[in-house]
Amino acid sequence: MSGWRLFRASAALEAAQLRRNRGFVILTALAAVNFLAMVSLFGLTGAYAPVALINLDRGPYSTRFIEALNGAHHSFALKYMSEADAEKALHSGRLVGIITIPAGFSDSVHRGITVPIDLRIDNVNIDLTNDVQRALPAAIVAFGHRHNFPGVRVIMAEHDVIPHDTGYIPYLVVSALALDAMVIAGILGAMATAREWERRTVKLLRLSPASATIILAGKLAVASSVAGGALGLTLLAIVVGYGVVPVDPWTTVFALAACVAIFTCMGAWLGAVLKRTLAVVPLMFGLAMPLYVDSGALEPTRFDGEKIWRLAHLSPVYYAVGVLEWSFHGLRVTPEPVYVDMLVLLAIAAVAASLTLGSLARGGRR
Amino acid sequence: MMRGLWGMARNDLRVWLRSPSAIAAALLPALGMGVLVAVLTNSVGQQPVALVVQGKGAAATRIANLIRGDPEAYLITEMTPSEAERAIGEQRAAAIIVIPANFDSAVAGATASVDVYLNNIDIDLADDIRRSVTRSVAEFDAPQLGLLVELHGPSEGMLLPSPYRVAISEHDLRDTNVSFLQYQVIPIILLIVISIGLLGTSLLTARDFERGTAKMLVLSPIRPLVLVVGRLLGGTLITFALVSPLIALGFLTHRIPYCGEESTAPQWVTILFSGPCGWILPVPSVSHGMALLALLLAVTLMTVGIGTLLGVALRDTRLVTMTGLNGSAYLFFLGGGFTTVAFLPRWLQIASRFVPTSYAIEGLRQALFYPDLIGFGRDMLVLSLSAILSVVLASVMLTRALRRA
Repeated sequence: MSGWRLFRASAALEAAQLRRNRGFVILTALAAVNFLAMVSLFGLTGAYAPVALINLDRGPYSTRFIEALNGAHHSFALKYMSEADAEKALHSGRLVGIITIPAGFSDSVHRGITVPIDLRIDNVNIDLTNDVQRALPAAIVAFGHRHNFPGVRVIMAEHDVIPHDTGYIPYLVVSALALDAMVIAGILGAMATAREWERRTVKLLRLSPASATIILAGKLAVASSVAGGALGLTLLAIVVGYGVVPVDPWTTVFALAACVAIFTCMGAWLGAVLKRTLAVVPLMFGLAMPLYVDSGALEPTRFDGEKIWRLAHLSPVYYAVGVLEWSFHGLRVTPEPVYVDMLVLLAIAAVAASLTLGSLARGGRR
Repeated sequence: MMRGLWGMARNDLRVWLRSPSAIAAALLPALGMGVLVAVLTNSVGQQPVALVVQGKGAAATRIANLIRGDPEAYLITEMTPSEAERAIGEQRAAAIIVIPANFDSAVAGATASVDVYLNNIDIDLADDIRRSVTRSVAEFDAPQLGLLVELHGPSEGMLLPSPYRVAISEHDLRDTNVSFLQYQVIPIILLIVISIGLLGTSLLTARDFERGTAKMLVLSPIRPLVLVVGRLLGGTLITFALVSPLIALGFLTHRIPYCGEESTAPQWVTILFSGPCGWILPVPSVSHGMALLALLLAVTLMTVGIGTLLGVALRDTRLVTMTGLNGSAYLFFLGGGFTTVAFLPRWLQIASRFVPTSYAIEGLRQALFYPDLIGFGRDMLVLSLSAILSVVLASVMLTRALRRA
């Protein structure tokens, strides 16, 4: 039998198996959307703390101060409400704090008198509290600079390394794409090999005179294609739903396709080692979050410390996030060049594929 | 009847404890989330910053000390200009703060600036640094805007004049010292309960139909209702058997070296020694402990009921695993796990009110971290009603499915 015919036959068989497990495949693809939703929800807590603003002053300076609050580094989502409503919302966890601008604010500021503004804060956890405590001085400083009040001797002069800021959610959803590639392609790749042990057909593979490499290639090609389709839909959701457009679309598609192929190979190896789909699925889900967070998914990993950064090199998602953030936003999130990230991913895929072939060969002997 | 009920429950417990892949399916994703929280705690708030002090005068020394004195915001490393440039290129620093050589003379002329070279890779990181540096710089001219207010609260009745003409009078709502890690561990505990309760029962139920053992159960002399209640009891026992040691470790390891709150050991050492729930859970009073137990029981019953329904509906272990994992994730995130509901868009806030886990997370935090039980009655009511509804539905559906098996 020619290699091509063998490849096609193996691919057709895998496609038939996946058709028979449509429900499982759909749920795996749904997991991709889940991860996207999860990181988006997490991203929403990174900025724009909901804070009630009660303005008891109607003068021009209070209006300027509110503008300064709105411009304070994406810190506040100001809600205008009555004191009673604000109090109720604060106690029911719908607000982080209440800022009250006192009556006579504009008059005092005009006369050069320092006015204390009242901040009631729900200090339910230290992270939220710190964010508000640091943002309010930033707004006050911006207010002071705008009016050139005398007595300010020092200012901060900012020089950005990157010409534009990247939003937190656009940054997170791209790294979620790397996570999706790992989970979906990994599970489908694992299913393709684990099934041989679950149905005891691994012995037939071993006894067959056909090339195991071509058979595996056929199976993994179909698994990769299905995973690629699911990720294509996720990519579409990111572009259309979130409005995040890659700076280099073709490089993004190529990088994503490469990630899918590589993670399918890794999944295939995991399936060959664990020999049961039911064991692989929770392992992939369990590994997903730690690997994700230690991969530069939230910020470049090296900012979290040298130890965590060194550990991150064990995670394939680290390299995948490096490649995808570069192709999507033009950002470098690993100190290593992007081509090194890609080469490491390819090396991982080659090692995983050869280990899988080894496991398939040994599996037949048992 | 009691023998049959107990026999079914005991059998389920044994089968489950002999299934390592089922235990892994229930525990691994939740533990993965736990690791995520632990790592996030390390990276929340502080950013690595290179400080270059070129000025030698009193004003330069003062501003440098203000920056050095805010370890909550920065992980400062003092460097030369060339070292700092290399550090930002190699991502060892997220920003460089430069106090220039002419700082003192510029201060005298009211034209001084502190230069910040910022790796603005995403706004979360960049804004954290912008806010922190702005505050440190403002503190030079207006000490009341600085770190002291954050650490010690507002100085009542004492208002220093500020060139910015605005000061802050802060009032904290709670007398609490809940850390980010303690705050976030509550949803993780709940995720473990949901995963085990939901997946444990759904896998057992699906397996009965997949392997045909459901027919054998029907042919046994035990009444279907007893079998159903036995299954629900088994699911509850499985959840408690796996969750209790994890939570108990969190309470019991306070006095063990490396686990206490004052421990200076790295976070991973603490977690390794005190178990996945060992993030220094405060020991509750008797009343709060009882409330905690009642709440966990209600959540367990609710998830066991949902799990049984899932098993009856899908009857395929692989489908059940995937659906269970997806479902747990939704219950976790929409319930406020890792997110603060107040930050979500209005429609999601409304949706989260219909997710029972949001009441469970709120109730658990109230019982563990606060001196009173305000709102606990409402949380318990919603969870009890959800538990009753899911258990009744599960009983009806499973009885019907067994009769038709």
